[in-house]
Order: sequence, then structure tokens, then C-alpha cells
Amino acid sequence: MSAGRSIVKQGIADAVPLFVPAIPFAFVIGVVIVDSGINPVVGWSSSWIIFGGAAQLTLISLLGSGAAVAAAITAGLVVNARHLMYSAAMAPVFQHQPRWMRWVGPYLLIDQQFALAVLRADDDPKSFRTYYLSSGLVFWSMWQITTVVGIVLGPIVPVSWSLEFAVSILFLGLIVMGIDKYPKLVAALVGAGVTYLSAGLPNRAGLLVGAFVGILVGTIAERLRE
Amino acid sequence: MTEFLAIIAVGIGTYLSRGVFILALASKKISDPVLVALQFVAPAVLSALIVALLIDSDGNVAIGVAEVSAFIVGGAVAYKTRNHILTLIAGMGVFWLVRALI
Repeated sequence: MSAGRSIVKQGIADAVPLFVPAIPFAFVIGVVIVDSGINPVVGWSSSWIIFGGAAQLTLISLLGSGAAVAAAITAGLVVNARHLMYSAAMAPVFQHQPRWMRWVGPYLLIDQQFALAVLRADDDPKSFRTYYLSSGLVFWSMWQITTVVGIVLGPIVPVSWSLEFAVSILFLGLIVMGIDKYPKLVAALVGAGVTYLSAGLPNRAGLLVGAFVGILVGTIAERLRE
Repeated sequence: MTEFLAIIAVGIGTYLSRGVFILALASKKISDPVLVALQFVAPAVLSALIVALLIDSDGNVAIGVAEVSAFIVGGAVAYKTRNHILTLIAGMGVFWLVRALI
């Protein structure tokens, strides 16, 4: 039991500092929910239904800006497609887990959770489970709380501050910190450029065109590099 | 109601993207070309989103000196510090400053 308790403590201690970078996202999501005119409770439900900051920001910003619902949903799903990599990487570890854990685990598999869990892949199944659920519940509960704080504080922020621009700055930060080789830079520049050129398309569909061409050209650049 | 359904749709899709291999395809591997392409999803989509969010109702990209300055400074701070909070403060700070000046 004491071993179990120390694993719980470890999971919490590892998760808390990793949550800090997510705080501005949570806050901005709250503000954007208020800005978008979507019912705040419905907007907040994305925190536990989707539980993924980039997809939530994408979906809510696009819905609030008058994009077609189908385009907003597609963009939200594409943003989260990277989780397929996490799922594939964690699948062998989860084969030693009981069935309920194989259902619960994916729900908690956000970027930070993956970063922690992948380091514990060789733990015995029970220790892994204890650690995974401890860190996952920290991320989950802190996310629910901080997005509520954003919604509560959102109306206090004056519209003239144009805080919705913060979404663009946060996304830029994600791109810059994620670029570890030049094909990713190529993908980002092409994605932005093609979206710019197709800005006239209705319902912000240019976003999907830009994203698709960006992924394609990034993949080609990677091939040429090899 | 539409918004709630949209959230549920993205929620289901997100869960499936996190769960599909864990729940169903544990013995399957993602094929190499798909794995290569997946790395470029985040940079391509996020940069496309940045531009898309600046498109106004007439289909023009509403980007001015304030936005460009904020992207340059925010991008540099992100690169140097790898810290989201500092990036946000620097980017928004420059955005507000330049907007106030011009």
C-alpha cells in the first residue's frame, strides 16, 4: 500500500509542473467561449467532452467566427489527429491492462500525459496504472478548474483588448516549439501561405486546403531530406 | 444545440484518435508513410489556423503591423524561452503596444 501511495505522489508531483504551460490555453479558451457567444456551460462542456486544448480552441474560435460547422468540426478533428501516434505508441503497454483501463486510458491521453506515461512503459502493470491514473486525474481536474476560471474572468476582460488574438500567439508558440527539423518549418509556412491564398473560399474552407497542402509538402520535404 | 453537437462530434473523434490502437488495433502498426505525414499535421494545421482566424467576413486576411510585430516577437520569445506564458505576454504586449502607437 505504501508503495502504491508513493506512486500516486510521484504521479501528482510529475504532473503539476507539466500543467503550468497549459494554464494560458485554459484561460484563453474560457475567454474565447465567452467571446463566441456560445452558452458558457455548453462551451465549458468541451473541457470534459473533448479534453484537448488545441482542438477546443480551434472548434470554439471557428464556431464563434462564423465558420461552417462542418469546417469547424473537421479542423478540430484534424488538429487532434496527432493523438493517433500516441495511441499506437501506448498500445503495447495497455495490452497488460484490464479492459476498463483500456477504455479509460485513451480519454486521459493528452500530450503531457503521453510524455509522462511513455517513460513508465516498463513498469509493472499495476504500478503503471496507478501512476497513469494519478497524473491523468491531476491534468483532468486542473483543466476543468482553469477553464472555468477563464470563463468567469472572460467577461471582465474588455473587448478592446482583442484577447482572441492570443489564440494566434499561443498557436504560434506551439508551432515554434514543435519545429525540430526543417520539413516541419516548410509544412508550417506552406500551410499558412496556402490558407492566405485561399482566404476567399467560403466558410473558411481555405483552412483545410492550407492544412492539407502543408502536410503534403512537409511530407515531400521529409522524403527529399532522407 | 448545434454547438453542443459539434463539441460531441469532436469529442468522439478525439477519443477515437487516442484510443483506436489501444482498444482495437494493438497488433497493428501505423504504416510508415502515414507516420511520416502525421508529424506534419500539427505545424501545418496550426499555421493554417492562425491565418484562418485573421480572415474577416469579406474573405480578406486582416493582418496589419501590430499582428506582424506580435508574431515576430512572440515567435522569437517562443524559440528562445520555450515558455508559453512568456510567449503570450511578449506577443500580446507587442500587439497592444504597436496598436496604441499607430
